[in-house]
Amino acid sequence: MSWAHNIKEGRSRPSFPFGFSRQATPGVGSPAILAMLMMPGIIIVAAFFLIPLALVAMRVADGPDGWATYFVILTNARYFASLVQTLVMSAGVTLTALVLCAVCGLFLVRNRFAGRNVLTALLTLPLSFPGTVVGFMVIMLAGRQGVIGSISDAIFGEKFVFAYEISGLFIGYLYFSIPRVILAVMASAEKLDPQLEEAARSLGAPTWRVVKDVILPGLMPGLISSGAICFATAMGAFGTAFTLATDIDVLPMVIYTEFTRNANVAVAAALSIALGAMTWAVLFAVRCFVGSSADVAPRGGA
Amino acid sequence: MTTQIKLRDCAKTFTDGTRALAPFDLTIEGGETIVLLGPSGCGKTTILRMIAGLEFPDKGGVITFDGDDVTHQSIEKRRVGMVFQSYALFPNMTVAQNVAYGLKVHGVSREESDARVKAMLEMMHIEMLADRAIDQLSGGQRQRVALARAIAVQPRVLLLDEPLTALDAKLRVRLRTEINALLRKLGITAVYVTHDQEEAMALGDRIVVMQKGEIAQIGTPREIYCKPQNPFVADFVGAANLLDGQMRDGRLHIGNHVFDAVDAFDPRHGAIIDQGPVELFFRADGLSTCDAAHAHFTGRVEAVSYLGERLRLTVSGIGMHAVMIDTHADDIITAGADVHCQINPDRLTVFPARGDSTTAVSQAR
Repeated sequence: MSWAHNIKEGRSRPSFPFGFSRQATPGVGSPAILAMLMMPGIIIVAAFFLIPLALVAMRVADGPDGWATYFVILTNARYFASLVQTLVMSAGVTLTALVLCAVCGLFLVRNRFAGRNVLTALLTLPLSFPGTVVGFMVIMLAGRQGVIGSISDAIFGEKFVFAYEISGLFIGYLYFSIPRVILAVMASAEKLDPQLEEAARSLGAPTWRVVKDVILPGLMPGLISSGAICFATAMGAFGTAFTLATDIDVLPMVIYTEFTRNANVAVAAALSIALGAMTWAVLFAVRCFVGSSADVAPRGGA
Repeated sequence: MTTQIKLRDCAKTFTDGTRALAPFDLTIEGGETIVLLGPSGCGKTTILRMIAGLEFPDKGGVITFDGDDVTHQSIEKRRVGMVFQSYALFPNMTVAQNVAYGLKVHGVSREESDARVKAMLEMMHIEMLADRAIDQLSGGQRQRVALARAIAVQPRVLLLDEPLTALDAKLRVRLRTEINALLRKLGITAVYVTHDQEEAMALGDRIVVMQKGEIAQIGTPREIYCKPQNPFVADFVGAANLLDGQMRDGRLHIGNHVFDAVDAFDPRHGAIIDQGPVELFFRADGLSTCDAAHAHFTGRVEAVSYLGERLRLTVSGIGMHAVMIDTHADDIITAGADVHCQINPDRLTVFPARGDSTTAVSQAR
C-alpha cells in the first residue's frame, strides 16, 4: 500500500541540543564536562540569588509577628490592596501592550512605506530610557504643568491631571513595554507563512477567522514570551512609580517605604517574597495554560 | 456540476509597473485538467492566482465561472480549492482538523463533517494519520492532507501550484499518478501549475505553455510534443537539438544535403516556409547512427550516457552546438570516437530562423 512506505519518511522530532544524550560526542557533550561548564552559572545563581533570597525569606521571622508576617500581608487591608493593585495593573499593562503591539507589529511587517524604518526605530527608543525618565515624561504629558492639562484647561476650563496616580503609572509602563513586545511580534510576524492565510481564505474563512485560526496561533509564541517579560517588568518596576508620586500603592513602592521609612524589615521581606512568588506563579500558569498550544505552533521544516 | 472557467482580456501589471501577463483569453472546460507549463517567472502562477481570486486582472479583464462574473469576487467567496508547493497546512491543528476546517467555516454540521473528513482521508489513504500533528508527517503525507483539505469543501475548481516540486523524484511520480486518478475520479475542473514537462504531459488534458507573460501554445500533450508551434515550445518540451538550414524553393538544405517533403508549415504565420534560413528542432531520435556510406554527418562523441534501454551520445561537430543522439544500448561506443549519422527528416520541426522570421515566410498560402 502506498502509505506504508511513507511512514518511514516520517520525521522524528528534533532533540534538544544540550541533552545528556548517549549519542553525544565525547567532549563537550559528556555529562561530567557539561557539569563542570555549568559550575560558574551554578555558583553565581547560588551567591547572588538563592542565598540572598533565603536570607530575605528568613528575615521575616525577625519581625514582631514572626513567621505570621506572611499572613499579615494578606490580612492587612493596605498590603493586600497593594498586592491586588499591582497584579491588576501589570496584567492590564501586559494585555494592552499585547493588543496594541500585535496590530502595529503586523502592520509594520506587512507594509512597506517611506519612513517605516525610522518609525520602527522610534518605537523601540524607550528601551534605552530608565524608569525615572519615563516617569518624567509622564509628568510632562499629564502632570500639573503637562500638555494634556494645558489643552483641557483651554477647552474645558479644567485641568486633567492624572500623572500622579495609577493611570499615570499605567501609561508610563505601557510606553516602557511597547518596544519589547513589538520587536517580538515583528519577529514572529515575519515568520508567518502568507500561504497559510491564502489556504484559509480559499476554504472560505472571513478575515476574523483568518486572524483567529492562523495569525494569532502563529504569533502566540512571541506574544507569550514578550508578554511574560512585560508582566514581570511591570510587577517589579520602581523608578517610574518613585518619580511620579509616593501615594501610588504598587508593591515595589510599599516595599521601599516599609524598608526605608518605617524600618519594618520583616514586612518588607515578606512583601518581596510575595511579589516574587506571585510573578512566578502567574508566568507559570500562563505557560501551562497556553504552553501546550504554543508548542505546536513552531512548524516543522517543509 | 463541473464548472467552466473563462478568462477574457486578462492582463496583469504589478503596482511597480512590471507587466506580468500580456492580455490573454483562456477557456477551461468543465471537468478539464489544464496544466500551465513554463519556466519560473513566465506568469503561470499569476494566472492561477487570478483564477483563485488572490490577484485581480487589470481593468478590462473578465473572469467567469459558468457564466457568473467573479472578476471582483474575493477568494473566500469563489469556492476554490488550493494546494500549494509548501503544503500550507495549519500547524496548530491535527490532520483531521485541517481537513475539517473548510467544512467548519461553511457551518457544516458536526456529524456530516466527521463523515466527510473520514471519507476524504480514506480516499487519500491517510485515515490512520487523522489525529497526528502536522510536524509528524512526511512531505508526501502532508501533500495528501492538503489535497484532502482542498477537495473536502467540494470546490468549483481545484488549483494546484507546483504541488509536487518539494518532493523527491520517486514520490513525485507516485503522487502524480494518484493525483491523476483523483482528478479523473472527481471529474473536477482543475488548473495545475508546473515547470516540469513530464508532469504536464502526464496530468494535462490540455497544456498551456507560457513564455515571458504570454501564452506560447495551447494544446493537448500530443500536440505540444509533436507539433510545437514555435522554437520556445519546441525547446521547452524537450526537442533540444538544433541545426541550421536553408529553405530553397520548398526544399530543405542542410550543409550539402538536400531533403524533399519536409513539413515546413509555420503555424504562427499560417504559411509554408519555402525560402530563407530556418532552424531545425529535433529530439534524440531525429538523428541515428549509420555506416560511413550513408552518413549525412560525421561528428565526434563527447560523452556517452547509459540510460538502460538506450545509449545517449553527446556529439559535437554537426551543428553550432552539441547534439544528442540515441543509439542501441548494446552498441559499444566510447567518448572521443567519430560517429556517422543520418538525419530523419520526418522528425524535424522547421521554424524560420529567429530574428529573420518575417522575411523568410512566403505568404502564398
